[in-house]
Amino acid sequence: MAYQLYRNTTLGNSLQESLDELIQSQQITPQLALQVLLQFDKAINSALAQRVRNRVNFRGSLNTYRFCDNVWTFVLNDVEFREVTELVKVDKVKIVACDGKSKYGN
Amino acid sequence: FKDDLSASPPQLFMPMNLYDVDLPIQTPEDALFSSQCNQPKELPVDFSSVDLSFLPDVTQDKEQNQSEDGHEKQEELDGSASRNEDSRILVGENSLYYPDETQRSLEASGTCQSLTSMTSMTPVTSASESTGIVPQLQNIVSTVNLACKLDLKSIALHARNAEYNPKRFAAVIMRIREPRTTALIFSSGKMVCTGAKSEEQSRLAARKYARVVQKLGFPAKFLDFKIQNMVGSCDVRFPIRLEGLVLTHQQFSSYEPELFPGLIYRMVKPRIVLLIFVSGKVVLTG
Repeated sequence: MAYQLYRNTTLGNSLQESLDELIQSQQITPQLALQVLLQFDKAINSALAQRVRNRVNFRGSLNTYRFCDNVWTFVLNDVEFREVTELVKVDKVKIVACDGKSKYGN
Repeated sequence: FKDDLSASPPQLFMPMNLYDVDLPIQTPEDALFSSQCNQPKELPVDFSSVDLSFLPDVTQDKEQNQSEDGHEKQEELDGSASRNEDSRILVGENSLYYPDETQRSLEASGTCQSLTSMTSMTPVTSASESTGIVPQLQNIVSTVNLACKLDLKSIALHARNAEYNPKRFAAVIMRIREPRTTALIFSSGKMVCTGAKSEEQSRLAARKYARVVQKLGFPAKFLDFKIQNMVGSCDVRFPIRLEGLVLTHQQFSSYEPELFPGLIYRMVKPRIVLLIFVSGKVVLTG
């Protein structure tokens, strides 16, 4: 059972919306939609662990932090995301992080 | 938590009633000394000679100082409330360093055991008084009982700046920025507050944590707030011969340079532990 962490991402949300539409139009069952999402969890966890090699650095000031159920949630302000190629600045970023080395990870 | 109020003269214990009044945030020295001086305490009467040869010799005109101090004392006592605190500090120092004047000082202002009496065993030749070495508070640990059972997971999920890892430690670790402190909050409702630089700040911080818990829906109260430990540090500004000190004060000292570079001096009266370093830096705790 992989982390369901990535369901609330642009990709994951698009998938959920599409599945909801299909359920509405009775083209698929809710059970099937659930199975699709579980498969999505496996696929995205595996892809990020195996197929992503690039590295991004970020720096900002910590507004709040939380650690509960082994999940870290941070809110940073005035953050700079730096990759070799480019720089992105944001006023506020929320980071939700799960343990990478647990049995759920790679 | 043992309440040893009756047992030993609690020089560093803050009386509860002082904090029922709203006090402005005081500087660490003020809070430290004024709180102590509100309660008349017995002076340590036994100044039997304890060898302080590890301190440098300071030659001063003792006669001159006595008259000066008497004069100062009179001036200070006529001052305003805030200055009275200072006068008590001075008088406390006087009574320490001039034991023959002890009675006069006692009657004049009520005694107080000032923190500069950390070298309280011997009438010192006013070295500390003239240089005015005042330890700075670095850390205060206090506890309070919120008097209600708490759901730690709910607190960790809804409060900001909280950590809860029940597998490792059965408490929520919460932090606030002002005063910069850390609290350990247990499911029993008991709480430990650490990191404050003064007693008043510690109490204020503990109240802030209690308010956070209260706002999360728990019927939190603020019972039995108690300062458990205070840590201070200072610099005597001259090197100290630790080997000499451990020879003359072996029943109080433990010095293992291969283990730890500081000498651990367990003072009996007041019951304080000092970490003394060759550089002249001293840490006081307990």
